[in-house]
Amino acid sequence: MVLSSMEVEAAPSKAKPLPPKPMFEPLKPYEMSDGQFRKVSVPQHRYNPLKKALLDIYTPIYEQMKIDIRMNLKARKVELKMRPDTPDISNLQKCADFVHAFMIGFDVLDAIALLHLDELYVESFEIKDVKTLRGDHLSRAIGRLSGKGGKTKFAIENATKTRIVIADTKIHILESFANIKIVRDSLCRLIMGSPVGKVYSKLRAVTARLA
Amino acid sequence: MADSKDAGEEALRRLIATFQPSFLAPNPALSETSRAASRHLFSALRPFCPKSPLDQLLIDGFDAEQIWQQIDLQSQPLLSSLRRQVKHFAKNPEEISKLKVVPLGKKVEKEQREDWVEESDGFDEELEDDEEGEGKGGEEGMDIEDEDEEQGRESDNEEESEGEDEEEKGEDGEAGDGGIEDKFLKIDELAKYLEKEEENFEKAEEDTRGKKGADDEENTEDDDDDDEEEEEEEEESDEVSVLLGSIVSDFVLLCLHRMLSLDLAAKMQQGTWKMQGMDLFYGVFLTLEHCGWDEQFILLLRYEDFFGDKGKYSKKMKAQLHQESEGSDEEDDDMKFKKQNKGTASTHQKQLEKIHSKIEEMEKANLEPKTWTMQGEVTAAKRPKNSALEVDLDFEHNVRPAPVITEEVTASIEDMIKKRITEGNFNDVQKAPKLPSKVPREVKELDDNKSKKGLAEIYEQEYVEKEDPTSAPLSFRDEQKQQASVLFKKLGLKLDALAHFSFAPKPVIEDMSVQINVPALAMEEIAPVAVSDAAMLAPEEVFEGKGDIKEETELTKEERKRRRANKKRRFKAAAVKRMGKKVQEGALPNQMNG
Repeated sequence: MVLSSMEVEAAPSKAKPLPPKPMFEPLKPYEMSDGQFRKVSVPQHRYNPLKKALLDIYTPIYEQMKIDIRMNLKARKVELKMRPDTPDISNLQKCADFVHAFMIGFDVLDAIALLHLDELYVESFEIKDVKTLRGDHLSRAIGRLSGKGGKTKFAIENATKTRIVIADTKIHILESFANIKIVRDSLCRLIMGSPVGKVYSKLRAVTARLA
Repeated sequence: MADSKDAGEEALRRLIATFQPSFLAPNPALSETSRAASRHLFSALRPFCPKSPLDQLLIDGFDAEQIWQQIDLQSQPLLSSLRRQVKHFAKNPEEISKLKVVPLGKKVEKEQREDWVEESDGFDEELEDDEEGEGKGGEEGMDIEDEDEEQGRESDNEEESEGEDEEEKGEDGEAGDGGIEDKFLKIDELAKYLEKEEENFEKAEEDTRGKKGADDEENTEDDDDDDEEEEEEEEESDEVSVLLGSIVSDFVLLCLHRMLSLDLAAKMQQGTWKMQGMDLFYGVFLTLEHCGWDEQFILLLRYEDFFGDKGKYSKKMKAQLHQESEGSDEEDDDMKFKKQNKGTASTHQKQLEKIHSKIEEMEKANLEPKTWTMQGEVTAAKRPKNSALEVDLDFEHNVRPAPVITEEVTASIEDMIKKRITEGNFNDVQKAPKLPSKVPREVKELDDNKSKKGLAEIYEQEYVEKEDPTSAPLSFRDEQKQQASVLFKKLGLKLDALAHFSFAPKPVIEDMSVQINVPALAMEEIAPVAVSDAAMLAPEEVFEGKGDIKEETELTKEERKRRRANKKRRFKAAAVKRMGKKVQEGALPNQMNG
């Protein structure tokens, strides 16, 4: 016996060539969010303002963000859907936020900033989160927050480049990351009962520093 | 002499006879009599005082004080010498017996005296003693003297009845020195008189006794005014009596003085003459007597009962007496001179004695504790009560005394106020301007109003500013600044125009506007002068007329006519036009109405 070299059957290695790696193109947003859409409910008190400002809302969303938008009257919701030519997947979210901001109570012009800037966001909290107040105290706190003719609110807004919405006991702030602390601090102080002058002085100091 | 003597005696008698309280009221007649009496007495005593400068008492035209001074001048040395003699005799009583005694006159005197004793109230043993003493040796014309003495004594007694306490005092004096000392009695005078009389006595003992007697004889016809002085003369040997006599003399002198000076009561009323102690006592005595007090009892009253401490004074006076008896009599220069001549004690020695006495006084004062004013710090407890009120204290005041507000001061202040108000010059406190150390930071104020821009726009702006800083829009402040700068430039131009030297040309104003009819000069001239519309245009520019322009006065008649005709034509044409217009207008409403 001879070790015979095994005849390796040189089988005709007709290895089947592997198929080429598939080169996938990146998914389009539309494809990514397959069948994604957002639904933003409309509260009753924002129904009329929505009607009035519909075009203002529709145009930037549809034109610039390239998101489909429609109003479901029966369900009283605004529905947003991606379109195939939506450039960015985050657009949908942005638009949804924008519409949501409007529904909260912000003005269109203010809410549009959400579309333009990434760093803006909406924060909401309640008065009872800060301090438990009841009855008159609560009313007084709300009064303190807004001030006479809303001037305290505007002062804070102008100083910190934010927008504030006080809806009964809820407070919504449309702000950038830079100004979180200041605004929240001022509002909390006002809720807790500090005099307005003190809040103003703090604001002044901070804004001077920031500016 | 006799006449005058008689007159004098008469005067004396009259005096004695007068109602005693009448002395208290001013009475010119009484004063006249008293003056005459005193002159009489003075001249009677003149021979007994060889050193006296006056021969006669000068009355006419003299003041009571001056008369008194004259009497004093005579009597003082006598009294002092008498006192000295009394002292001498007190020490050496055996010498009394050496004195001559005049028996006859004495007895007569005694009888008379007894009469007087009966007559006058409370007449004293003193006098008896005196009169015993009067029996001096060497006086021949004693009878006459005694008579004189009597009379004199009468007067004296009468006088002395007013002052009997003296005799009492004399009695007391007999007892010892302690009894005399009284403020009413002047011990220093006493001492002086004693001294004087001692000298006199010495002198007399040697050679002048007879002389004196001769003198006495000569003057015996004269009344003795001052019994005391006679007594002194006579009683030189009798120290006690001399002493008494001096005391008596003192008082009598004083009474005499009083008599003379009753016209002083008037002065007192005027306030020009002040009552002295003796007069006070005299007055008191009289009043008490008038009230019915026993005279003896009155006489027992003494100074101490009225004033002051008894023991102290007497001791003090004792010491003084001792001292001053040794001292010389300064007041009597004659005495001094005579003493010098005598050689008993030279002037120098006397001076030395004086100085010594002074030194002793001063040393004594030094040893004693000082008065509270001389001690350093004195509290209220250490000084007598209310003593600070009597002393003139001097304080250093650190505070300016409050200004006394008078009318002038108020007026001056008010004037100043008015002036200031008219000027407007007030002393208001003006705040000192704080120097700007650094650039004032731009304070960003909080805007209370709702922001007109939306949030998006704000961020947009921010982004743009970040990208392109120049495109930053003007802030509110900058706009204001620009407005301010424009305004100031306008103002500055005008101000510069006013001051020609520093003129800056007109700034280029953005808006162009064509100015019509501005004269060319205004455009070019450096200082624009105020321009009126009239100067803007040249005459041709103002009016463009054709032809020859004539004034109405220059016109000829024809031309005038022509002008008028033209005017009429124009007027007519205008009138026609107007009418036409009216017609047209009138037609329309007609049409409308119609």
